[in-house]
Amino acid sequence: MFRWEKLGRIFDPREHKGGSWMREFAQSPSALIYETHVRVYFCSRPAPASDGQYLSYLSYIDLNRKNLLEILNVCTEPILGLGAYGTFDEFGTNPISVIRDQGEVRAYYAGWTRCESVPFNAALGLAISRDDGASFARLGEGPVLSYSPDEPFLLGSPRIRKYGGNWHLWYVSGKQWLRTDGGKPEPVYRIRMASSEDGINWVKFGRDLLESRLGEHECQACPDVIFHGNKYHMFFCYRHSHHYKGKEGGYRIGYASSVDMLNWSRCDEIAGMSVSETGWDSEMVSYPHVFMLDGETYMLYQGNEMGRCGFGLAKLDSSQNWSEN
Amino acid sequence: MKWLKLGKIFDPTAHTLAHNCHEFAQSPQTLVKSDRVRVYFSTREKDSVGKYLSHVAFVDFDTSMRNIIAVSNHTVIELGQLGCFDEHGIFPINVLRDGDRVLAYTAGWNRKVSVSVDASIGLAISHDDGFTFQKHGNGPIMAASLKEPFLIGDAFVAFYGRLYHMWYIYGTKWKKFAQSDPPDRVYKIAHATSEDGINWHRDGRQIIADRLNADECQALPTVIELGGVYHMYFCYRQAHGFRTRRDDAYRIGYAYSDDLISWKRDDSNAGIDVSEDGWDSQMQCYPHVFKSGQNTYLLYNGNEFGRFGFGLAVLEK
Repeated sequence: MFRWEKLGRIFDPREHKGGSWMREFAQSPSALIYETHVRVYFCSRPAPASDGQYLSYLSYIDLNRKNLLEILNVCTEPILGLGAYGTFDEFGTNPISVIRDQGEVRAYYAGWTRCESVPFNAALGLAISRDDGASFARLGEGPVLSYSPDEPFLLGSPRIRKYGGNWHLWYVSGKQWLRTDGGKPEPVYRIRMASSEDGINWVKFGRDLLESRLGEHECQACPDVIFHGNKYHMFFCYRHSHHYKGKEGGYRIGYASSVDMLNWSRCDEIAGMSVSETGWDSEMVSYPHVFMLDGETYMLYQGNEMGRCGFGLAKLDSSQNWSEN
Repeated sequence: MKWLKLGKIFDPTAHTLAHNCHEFAQSPQTLVKSDRVRVYFSTREKDSVGKYLSHVAFVDFDTSMRNIIAVSNHTVIELGQLGCFDEHGIFPINVLRDGDRVLAYTAGWNRKVSVSVDASIGLAISHDDGFTFQKHGNGPIMAASLKEPFLIGDAFVAFYGRLYHMWYIYGTKWKKFAQSDPPDRVYKIAHATSEDGINWHRDGRQIIADRLNADECQALPTVIELGGVYHMYFCYRQAHGFRTRRDDAYRIGYAYSDDLISWKRDDSNAGIDVSEDGWDSQMQCYPHVFKSGQNTYLLYNGNEFGRFGFGLAVLEK
């Protein structure tokens, strides 16, 4: 079992008097390491519109590399505007995953659009920064990864990695929209993968990577992969498709491992990261992001209400033996 | 090129179609059989909120194209499930015989909020010679991409030189032309190739030059080889006002190519134009060129985007 020491919540957007686009929510933290600081990209939201619908913007904070609990800086505007009329990311950019590559920083993100019969749809976009991660520009107005015969809608939760010279993208694809009694339809989505030589033209693997634990309507998200000890380790989150907004059916963090990135053994029991008895992460934990820094391994994750009140940090026990997992 | 108009040959309001469809027979496209020519088209029902759903139907003509043998009254292809790209309509459908199968390239429509709709191209396959089609998955084979952000549709597929070639359209922008009007769309014709008819290579490049202006809308390419030259017919219009103003409405355009790659636009040689009066006097759109017997035919829609059917012309020899 992974032994995580929770270091507490490190950012609550509601306590930060920044721009109106960052009123609440700090979702999907993704770290980029600099010489003196760690930049954590995330997705924040302004107040909802009169119809209750939200937009979501890409943002970041900088943490002191010597003390990750200290916030050095908060971005003063979104790092990317929303998409133009009718584009896939007109109504939101969320979640995000960033990576450095040859002097550039690439942000892979899910774009939100709004539909009539179902509340929303999503596809994956790519934006590139040439100023070391301060601002980003889209590579094109359309998505870099979109729908296909067996991935019909809701491509989301991108996590970008580069291993052995190739690009790998773990993400989720919608499988089904479930009709609900009188309410909005609810989606079912599962973790998938694609590979690429350039990070732009992708070959989809075309198969759900993880078996379901909560039945055929389980939703899986945020497949965060880290390579260590000759194995690929995936932390992700999963929930029920209904009644998931409280403690009962809310997101939990799961774990799987693989030697080839394609075949995964799921073993949630050893993820070692669960809800707390009380406090900001007592109802749900989700959107894990694991990274290594200066000899330590950390996990960023979001807590209650899908990250409405921010994200926190945990540190792996330094005596952790990864190979026993 | 010179086309002899044979007049309107099908009026949907004179027939009983499935799904309570009474009006519209849009984008006629053919499957030529030994004893008949099957013409697929998209017709419309009004749903519970008063919006249209486009359904695929067909009419069979005898080989003279003068007599109707049969009209479909069954579901030729199902609309998509909740949240799928083709949930709110299939329009148009392009069919291609492929061994003992018939492939159908569909444009599926789904309704949106800030703009009215989006579209992607799907594949469906028939194993009963075009009577019904089953979908190749719930999602599209060709959706939006980096350089083609939305409105992917109007596929026309042909097999040349051991490759499947697809001509199709992609949206370039949604633009508000008047404060009181909803945004209008702009789309252009592009080309893709495939070894298997499923996975396509494309570069998101407009292949037909604009004639009206940068906001010209180009739609429904159809390509035929005659005498070693490839001929493309398509329709084009202004991006705004095209529903009501005759001069801004769809017309049939023409281009030709020796290599399937570079096209020379020459609308003056299209050989067909709107009539002085009658069913195709306001607009002409959604052309489809095909060979049957010794003749080369052009099917197309007239006024009101084909609300009252489609007509036929034959190439003069």
